[in-house]
Amino acid sequence: MTRISPHLGPMLVVALITLALYWPLMYLANIPAAQRALDTGAALPCKTAFECATQLRSPVLPSPQQLWNGFRNLMFPLNSQSAIPLNALVTALETIVGLLLAALVGFFFAIGMVASRAFERSLLPWIVASQTVPIIAIAPMLVVVLGQYGVQGWLPKAIIAAYIAFFPIAIGVAKGLKSPDPLSLDLMKTYNASNWQTYLKLRFPASIPYLFTAFKVAMTAALIGAIVAEISTISFQGIGKMLAENSRASDVVAMWVIMLSSAVLGILLVALVNWLERLLTPWQRVRTAATPLPKQARVSERGGAG
Amino acid sequence: MMQSNTPNTHLPSSSLEVRPIVSVRQVSMIFQTGTVALKNANLEIAQGEFISLIGPSGCGKTTLLRLLADLIKPTSGTIQIGGKNPEEARKSRAYGYVFQAPTLMEWRTVLSNVMLPLEVMNFPASERKARAEKMLTLVGLEKFARHYPWQLSGGMQQRVSIARALAFDPQLLFMDEPFGALDEITRENLNLELLRLWRETGKTIIFVTHSIPEAVFLSTRIVVMTPRPGKIETVIPVDLPQPRTFETRELPEFFQIATEVREALRRGHGYEVTE
Amino acid sequence: MVAQPTKSAWNQALLGWVLLVVGFGILFWFIASWWNQTEPASGPQKLLIGAGFLLAALGIAWVANQFVNTPNPVIGFTPAALTLLVVVVTAEALLRAYQVPPGLIPTPSRVLSTFFAVRDVLLQDAFQTVVLEALVGYLIGCGLGVFTALLVSRYVFLERGLLPYATVFSSIPIVALAPVLVKMVGIDWQSKAVIVAITVFFPVVVNTFRGLSEVSPLSLDLMRSYAAGEVQQYRWLRLPNALPFIFNALKLGTTLAMIGAIVGEFFGANGQGLGFRIQIEAGRFGFDIVWSAIIVASLIGIAWYNLVAWLERRLTGWHVSFR
Repeated sequence: MTRISPHLGPMLVVALITLALYWPLMYLANIPAAQRALDTGAALPCKTAFECATQLRSPVLPSPQQLWNGFRNLMFPLNSQSAIPLNALVTALETIVGLLLAALVGFFFAIGMVASRAFERSLLPWIVASQTVPIIAIAPMLVVVLGQYGVQGWLPKAIIAAYIAFFPIAIGVAKGLKSPDPLSLDLMKTYNASNWQTYLKLRFPASIPYLFTAFKVAMTAALIGAIVAEISTISFQGIGKMLAENSRASDVVAMWVIMLSSAVLGILLVALVNWLERLLTPWQRVRTAATPLPKQARVSERGGAG
Repeated sequence: MMQSNTPNTHLPSSSLEVRPIVSVRQVSMIFQTGTVALKNANLEIAQGEFISLIGPSGCGKTTLLRLLADLIKPTSGTIQIGGKNPEEARKSRAYGYVFQAPTLMEWRTVLSNVMLPLEVMNFPASERKARAEKMLTLVGLEKFARHYPWQLSGGMQQRVSIARALAFDPQLLFMDEPFGALDEITRENLNLELLRLWRETGKTIIFVTHSIPEAVFLSTRIVVMTPRPGKIETVIPVDLPQPRTFETRELPEFFQIATEVREALRRGHGYEVTE
Repeated sequence: MVAQPTKSAWNQALLGWVLLVVGFGILFWFIASWWNQTEPASGPQKLLIGAGFLLAALGIAWVANQFVNTPNPVIGFTPAALTLLVVVVTAEALLRAYQVPPGLIPTPSRVLSTFFAVRDVLLQDAFQTVVLEALVGYLIGCGLGVFTALLVSRYVFLERGLLPYATVFSSIPIVALAPVLVKMVGIDWQSKAVIVAITVFFPVVVNTFRGLSEVSPLSLDLMRSYAAGEVQQYRWLRLPNALPFIFNALKLGTTLAMIGAIVGEFFGANGQGLGFRIQIEAGRFGFDIVWSAIIVASLIGIAWYNLVAWLERRLTGWHVSFR
């Protein structure tokens, strides 16, 4: 028996209100534009501004009918080079490869920062500062430079995604590696555990929840990086390429469809991280689960050992 | 300041050896801040004893325990654990340590938490599970082997951490206010259980506490410590009959010894800083 | 229980400084001797640069140990400053040694001179991007965000119906929003301000709400025992409790605002702005200007962040994280 979330009802109501408000808003935004189009004598298959509001080529807000048509045009056929599914897949892969690359490098940096105070003192200020800097600005240049040295295709996009995702991951993992309390470290010392054992049995597992928290931030950042990288260079595939193309062609409806699709892509990618987190950190899953525990397990009102 | 102990008549005679398992000579500990945490401490502990270190905050009882465990090094003096210096003793895994907090690893189940020291110490894989299960049975938690720590109450978590300390069968058990965070009722139950463990396993236990009844109930000897500078005020033998039960707390001798401890603490102005 | 600096530690630090000086000496000497050269350096000379870099890096590693426990933030910054200097100087030397065309990767010295040459244009760009787009959008987004959070924390219906959307919306890539908004609002600065406002809005709502709602039940009981009204409860308990959370979002928002403004300009600008400059100059291989624009953006980003952090310290000095 799964219980229905108390959020569901209110969320539906809010969604319905938004949808209901969309129609009048759409007319309100489009009628002046339609009027202008009629006044200039554009060839439109409609007579009044009210009718034309749903049929403009560049609407301020597209009508649901237009969105639906645009969606049908851009979604199918699924394997077409110019349809959204294939391009979204390419962008998603670039993002994920970038994230994994960032995690790999981030782990080494984090270990360096935890193991050596000198290393931390020398590099941490720059890593922190770079988080306050619009790193994305480097993307267009990086793509061009990488292209000059023969790194082309999806790889430079993945590298840029990694570059942007690296900082939150390095900081997150370093925090996680430092998170065990002094008593736990003392415990390992009483076992005469080697440095390596302390990392393996204590620091690495303790850092996994932090890694996932960082992943959730980094995933969105990496996706932005991948899309910007696709925009700033000659790309043949990817959401960014579609955005740039339709932006140049001023196809407003298509841009709306792509925007909504990439929103879904972003949500799906973060959901993927959430799913992996639940899979790989079972000790947290049981803690956050709303389902009641088996009877003999319900022995405590205390929050936990952490 | 402190009577140096030669073989001790107040002990359960069965487990006595002449040679002390722990010997502390003229040990001082001065921190970098200048605080004298421990001054000229002398103490000898025989095999099989249950020693309590009691005193208010800042009297150096935890410091003394950490010195024995080689978690810190003394400024001066010598410590011997089973004839070795503390570092050698730690490296030969001579003792188990139970902290104030359970320090269980939240990503491990109860059983695999107890297996942790066995993994670190490279016990054969086949032996680990059997030993851990035996220890869980010893503390009465065999039914909770597959649970995660957060599903257990504070008292149960602390029992797991005791099982973990016993898992590799060390001769010595160091316990640093293990029941300090628990309520009085849970604490009295765990005290009884700890005494049972002590009888069944024959370990030597050194137990830090700031509760006078707890110290009197558990110990064969009580080391009374006082602050500023941290020092050993006196050592009070406890010859209450074994095995001790709930009724032990009602004996007139129990109150007599408790009063003795209280007076020793007052002599060292130990009450000034108690919470 | 920190080990006192022993004699050997001092010797090591001294050796570190010597290595540092020798390493820098090699690098600077090479740069000076190659200043007007047009040919690539020979193999051994490249090796020499590598050696100079390694010596300096090793020197920093040893010197840094000296600064590990320095409480003074300015002095403690020394190793980091040295690291930056080594990286920049080595880059300069390597670019000169390999004679990389300045159209591809400009040398740091060239970037610096370009920076001074075009500083007026960049300042204008910065005004457009930072003051008009980022700052206006940031203020609007943060203001609306706090206001929304107040409403959401007051009405359970809104909490259940609106907050889940806010959480979901923060995982949407803002780049995808940019082209649509630019088309909708126009290519002037207002469109970018809207993008920025939307980007900072969601994290502010989520964080502020957490701060307003994660009040200890005991404190709430205390307020109730004072017969405090709803407004008083917010004034004396919920808002102060939320301040650290709000400031976290405000700090994060400074970065998001800069990113939003710059990325927004990639999709259309009125001929001004740092993002526009970067996009245009990257397309025509004017990387010295791109780097200059990035430096400006970074400096402003860091300054802005630190301004908010300073405000945070002034207003929430009581919080645990500052003790």
